[in-house]
Amino acid sequence: MAEITLVEAINQALAYEMQADPDVILLGEDIGKDGGVFRATVGLLEKFGEERVRDTPLAESMIAGLAIGMAMQGLKPVAEFQFMGFTYPALDQIINHAARMRNRTRGRLSCPLVFRAPFGCGIHAPEHHSESTEAIYAHIPGLRVVIPSSPQRAYGLLLSAIRDPDPVIFLEPARLYRWAKQEVPDDGKGLPLDRAFILQSGEDVTLISWGAMIKETLSAAQKLKKDGISVEIIDVATIKPLDKQTLLTSIEKTGRCIIIHEAARTGGVGEHISAELAEQALFFLKAPIIRLTGYDTIVPYAKLENYYLPKEQQIIDAVQRVLEFA
Amino acid sequence: MSIFHLPDLGEGLAEAEIHEWYVKVGDEVKVDQPLVSVETAKALVDIPSPESGRIVKLYGQPGEFINTHAPLLEFSSDNNTNKNNVNKDKGSVVGQLEESDTILKAEENIEPIQSAKTSNIKVMPAVRVFANKHNINLATVKPTGTQGQITIEDVEKLIKPDNTPDNKEETLHGVRHFMAIEMARAHQEVVNVTLVDEADITSLPDKTDITVSLIQAIITGIKAEPVLNVWYDGKIKKRILHNAIHLGLAMDTAEGLFVPVLKNILNQSPKDLRTEINRLKKSVQLRTIAKEDLQGATFTLSNFGVFAGRYATVMVVPPAVGILGCGRIRECVRVHEGKIAIRRIMPLSLSFDHRVVTGGEASRFLAAMMAHLEGRDDGLS
Repeated sequence: MAEITLVEAINQALAYEMQADPDVILLGEDIGKDGGVFRATVGLLEKFGEERVRDTPLAESMIAGLAIGMAMQGLKPVAEFQFMGFTYPALDQIINHAARMRNRTRGRLSCPLVFRAPFGCGIHAPEHHSESTEAIYAHIPGLRVVIPSSPQRAYGLLLSAIRDPDPVIFLEPARLYRWAKQEVPDDGKGLPLDRAFILQSGEDVTLISWGAMIKETLSAAQKLKKDGISVEIIDVATIKPLDKQTLLTSIEKTGRCIIIHEAARTGGVGEHISAELAEQALFFLKAPIIRLTGYDTIVPYAKLENYYLPKEQQIIDAVQRVLEFA
Repeated sequence: MSIFHLPDLGEGLAEAEIHEWYVKVGDEVKVDQPLVSVETAKALVDIPSPESGRIVKLYGQPGEFINTHAPLLEFSSDNNTNKNNVNKDKGSVVGQLEESDTILKAEENIEPIQSAKTSNIKVMPAVRVFANKHNINLATVKPTGTQGQITIEDVEKLIKPDNTPDNKEETLHGVRHFMAIEMARAHQEVVNVTLVDEADITSLPDKTDITVSLIQAIITGIKAEPVLNVWYDGKIKKRILHNAIHLGLAMDTAEGLFVPVLKNILNQSPKDLRTEINRLKKSVQLRTIAKEDLQGATFTLSNFGVFAGRYATVMVVPPAVGILGCGRIRECVRVHEGKIAIRRIMPLSLSFDHRVVTGGEASRFLAAMMAHLEGRDDGLS
């Protein structure tokens, strides 16, 4: 079996589920002929035809509304937004309709749809192509927010997202689209939503991250291992609803925790996780909960992008800092 | 080999004129290093290098025009691993996606596990700091917090042990109970002032009954200052001057302080006094003392110096207004009749209730007692 990239795993999952379920419909800008801005849907038009792989006009509000209508009538649309920064025109549709259709109709109708969007910086794109505003969606009741960080998790989580009976915001870390490869069996097995993934077991400190920052988190842990520091790494994956139990169990073990995300600091999901742990794991904490985040600024252009992102060395420094506590 | 094309330098500019090359063929350049300045319809612009590498070809000389997106210069392929880079689909129409040879391992399902190392000590940071400051090992602290946590109080208990098994807690009973009440009341009510002096009793014969001598000296004192033989009621500010003298004798027992009373001592002989003292002593020892024998003292004698102690702020117990304390009698060096001599000295402490008795009265009382004890009085008693 060949190893594939994260974006190829997305493509593989879409193809698998379209084959398995005729109700699955793709729509988005340039997803058909062009294969998508990042080639996530390449080849699917040829395979499944124009009925099921639909190029849309440049109108995100319409893409979202169209998907909601399809979903309410029994289809399972997977809509692609070219970048997270382009989802904002669709916020009204997503928040006011997709997220609350089940509640509004007292369960008579639901929205089994997926909104896919690449997110995050580090690919030298213009500024409104670079943000990580997942906290906006995590704040909205009625939405699931899922973020894969490896080809395997991208495949398994996307399948589960499509099969989920409610709307899922599926955010793909563009920086990891082609960064690494992995064997991904095309077996149609979904991974559980609402569950955090322990990428590495450890005893001294817990590193909590998601999305593209998993890359630096893993490499920092590698270096720390050489210093004899045992790190537990958790990929939150589904940031809403949060798998608190896995996080708590880990903190109760290590007593130390660093949360790493590239989103801006204020109001980031790291704040929420930190607060939950402070409330519920209080007696287990041996050190303050540290957050390493992006800055409260617009993501800068290419030259300063790497300065904006939390770096491997910052993670290592933070680990040393919390280890100096009791 | 990679070719660098003239980028779009501004909206709608189709071409630019080469003004000056900053580099030449064979140069090693760094990313962002200026390569060339070009003149557009709008301005003179420096073009930075998009990559690091060695330049193998320049397209065009100064003064020549280059079309936007036409080749500008060429880099050596030495450090360019992907020869087809130029034509390859970069996977995006926007930005550049990082690619690497990284192969991720197949993922295993790691279940959350609780560590055996997990400490079950629940303690807030402030309490932890407090415990550390006092060198208290938290593992030895018994938590009493509502969440099973160690509280500040729990740590404090170990700092100042007040509940160690050796300490016995008991409620006061009987005589001790009343002593506690009476003494506290006396302490609150009486303005207790103590006057101290000493009597030279060298002239007393060897076998003198000291207690009886003291009683007789007290009688002398009262005769000199009857205002010490008084009961005082502070609430109505009235004092009763007694004609008779009933003398309380403080006696120390294991159960506490007893003060039996020698009644009407004014005209009793030393022998009668001794007999009565012995009777009271015995009944105190046997716990058979009658209630009446413990009441009615108008003055008190405390002979506390049997073991140790010279002077004491003995405590007046209302309604009486005076008490005499006698310390340990001992031999001292004193000036006697102009010469240094060894004398038998009896230390005396007279406490009086200054609400009722003046300092002068107390002082004259003590002087009369001392004169009696020293054999200087006129033998009135």
